[in-house]
Amino acid sequence: MDTWNILEYVAWALSAMFGVLMLIDLIRIDTTYDNELLISSREGEIEATAERHEI
Amino acid sequence: MAYKPPKQGLAGQIFDVLTLLVLTVGALYIPLYLGLAGAAKVPNPIANPTWEALGQNATEQQQWAALGITDPAAANDIITARFDYSFSWVALIVMAVLVIGYFVMVVRLSDKEYREVIEERFGKKP
Amino acid sequence: MANVTSTAGEPERLQLLRVLGPAHIWALGVGIVLVGEYMGWNFSVGKGGMIAGLVACWVAGLLYTCVAMIDSEVTSTVAAAGGQYAQAKHIVGPLMAFNVGLFLVMAYTMLEAANAITVGFLLDTVAGMQGHSGLNQQPFIILAIMFLAWLNYRGVLATLTFNLVITAVAFLAIITLFVSVQFGASNVPLDFSAVTTDPLPYGWVGIVAALHFGLWYYLGIEGTCQAAEEVRSPARSLPYGTMAGIMTLLIAATMTWYVCSGLVPWEYLGQAGTPLFDAARVTGSTGLMILLFVGTTFATLASANGCINDASRAWFSMGRDRYLPSWFGAVHPVYRTPYRAIVFLVPIALIFALGAPLDQVVTFSILSGLLGYTFMTFNMVMFRNKWPLDTIKRGYVHPFHPLPTIVLLILCSTAYFAVFLGYGTQLSAMMCFYIVASLWFHFRRYQFVRRGDQFTMPWPKPVGY
Repeated sequence: MDTWNILEYVAWALSAMFGVLMLIDLIRIDTTYDNELLISSREGEIEATAERHEI
Repeated sequence: MAYKPPKQGLAGQIFDVLTLLVLTVGALYIPLYLGLAGAAKVPNPIANPTWEALGQNATEQQQWAALGITDPAAANDIITARFDYSFSWVALIVMAVLVIGYFVMVVRLSDKEYREVIEERFGKKP
Repeated sequence: MANVTSTAGEPERLQLLRVLGPAHIWALGVGIVLVGEYMGWNFSVGKGGMIAGLVACWVAGLLYTCVAMIDSEVTSTVAAAGGQYAQAKHIVGPLMAFNVGLFLVMAYTMLEAANAITVGFLLDTVAGMQGHSGLNQQPFIILAIMFLAWLNYRGVLATLTFNLVITAVAFLAIITLFVSVQFGASNVPLDFSAVTTDPLPYGWVGIVAALHFGLWYYLGIEGTCQAAEEVRSPARSLPYGTMAGIMTLLIAATMTWYVCSGLVPWEYLGQAGTPLFDAARVTGSTGLMILLFVGTTFATLASANGCINDASRAWFSMGRDRYLPSWFGAVHPVYRTPYRAIVFLVPIALIFALGAPLDQVVTFSILSGLLGYTFMTFNMVMFRNKWPLDTIKRGYVHPFHPLPTIVLLILCSTAYFAVFLGYGTQLSAMMCFYIVASLWFHFRRYQFVRRGDQFTMPWPKPVGY
């Protein structure tokens, strides 16, 4: 068992950690907030406020 | 009167995603499993390889050595491998028809849908 | 600036966070692409020899200059997340938009997978040089994807600032290698004798075939416009960042060809996994070797990072318009990222990174990109026809129209032929996939889409409708 073997286990552990962090947060957000709010983003909203394409 | 789309339930959403996934994975893996994928190089090793016979000058020999290959025999396959660029005209025509046909189909169907969009957004053409 | 738009009588809305500047756009564009200099481009040398590699480098450079010019004009006007997807939706129509969205997601997810594979391969090489054979690459491949997905999940500013730093390091590594070799830091001299002794081992067809991997020098530069909803002033930053990006890449690509072709025998170069790192090995300088190892790692990570960013934006936009289930069109209330799209694409990338060989994944990515460039040609013509120059204000107007469009179309056709020479079956499989997916969208999925809502730009009615 050398450094590279240890690194392999570290990599497995870190991958699992990042994966779990994301999943937990996803579940937490999905259960805390209303889905209608979460999917309320609309394309082009900026256009209406910031940039008008008029000459 | 604006078009009112039906509301899609969770099961329907999951089903749609799975359909797309199966298509994607299928397109990548079916050619692989059928063994039709890719064109590998074919090595034509020469007998009794020396660096000179393989066409490598003194500098190039140094470079091979720096890459960890000092024996010309070990480089024999790498140096002599060549691709085969022969192809069949039928296959080329089939491909051209597929690509052009695809774009024609997509643009035509898109235009049909696009007219509906414009009509709903800006009102009917006077 | 208010991040949540809420006007009287309307419910509160979540939007992506507008925090990026031109430097981030440069980092996103170059970051995705620069990895092409560290791996993949050299297969073009294998396909046609040293001269073919250089010709492919410049011809592909011309192709991408056209792409950048055309794209800058359209995107400085259609500034929305999803980039070319939103362009297609406004200019050609919904089905085209769905296809373009798929091109983007496929091209970037496959490229991300290819990057992860390269990280694993590179670590295996280094472990092998240190006497540890048979490294298990899987945990490193998974870690690369997981970490970057997590970073993307946590916010776009940190993600692209990280990208800016590592891309700059990777770019400087190429320049440092070039300069050091010029000043004689290499034990082995540069040797270009193969240019004269073995100029075109496959003849002219080799140059065409080389174009397939020549695209790899620049593939993904068009991804800059995915960030349109997160840039502070899209009409200015996007063309600026994109053009600066393509210039950076032209310089880097030429230097890379020069150093690698001079230091590595072309037969070896044509099949090498990490060409710049190999060139550094030939110099015999440990410092350069470490630098190029770091450069290779950073370039692959920067690329995978940008790909996660771009693919998730495209997927998110399609969800938002219900081209895909609306569940994907969600914005994280705290981090303001398309978090569901990011998480969903992780396992997809893993399927390809762990299950398919590198050249297949790369070819799929190139093909999806190529289909996207073909779309840009008629998109540009339709854009100028439906909204002539005097009807809407454009952030940038590209010169010599329609010359770039024509050049782009000719080069795209040549590239199809190049791909066909090596990977005809995959090309056909891919076309069948897009045809079936299109029919599925037109006849089933499109019923869930609100018609008029798809057109979001404050433009006049298109000419002829």
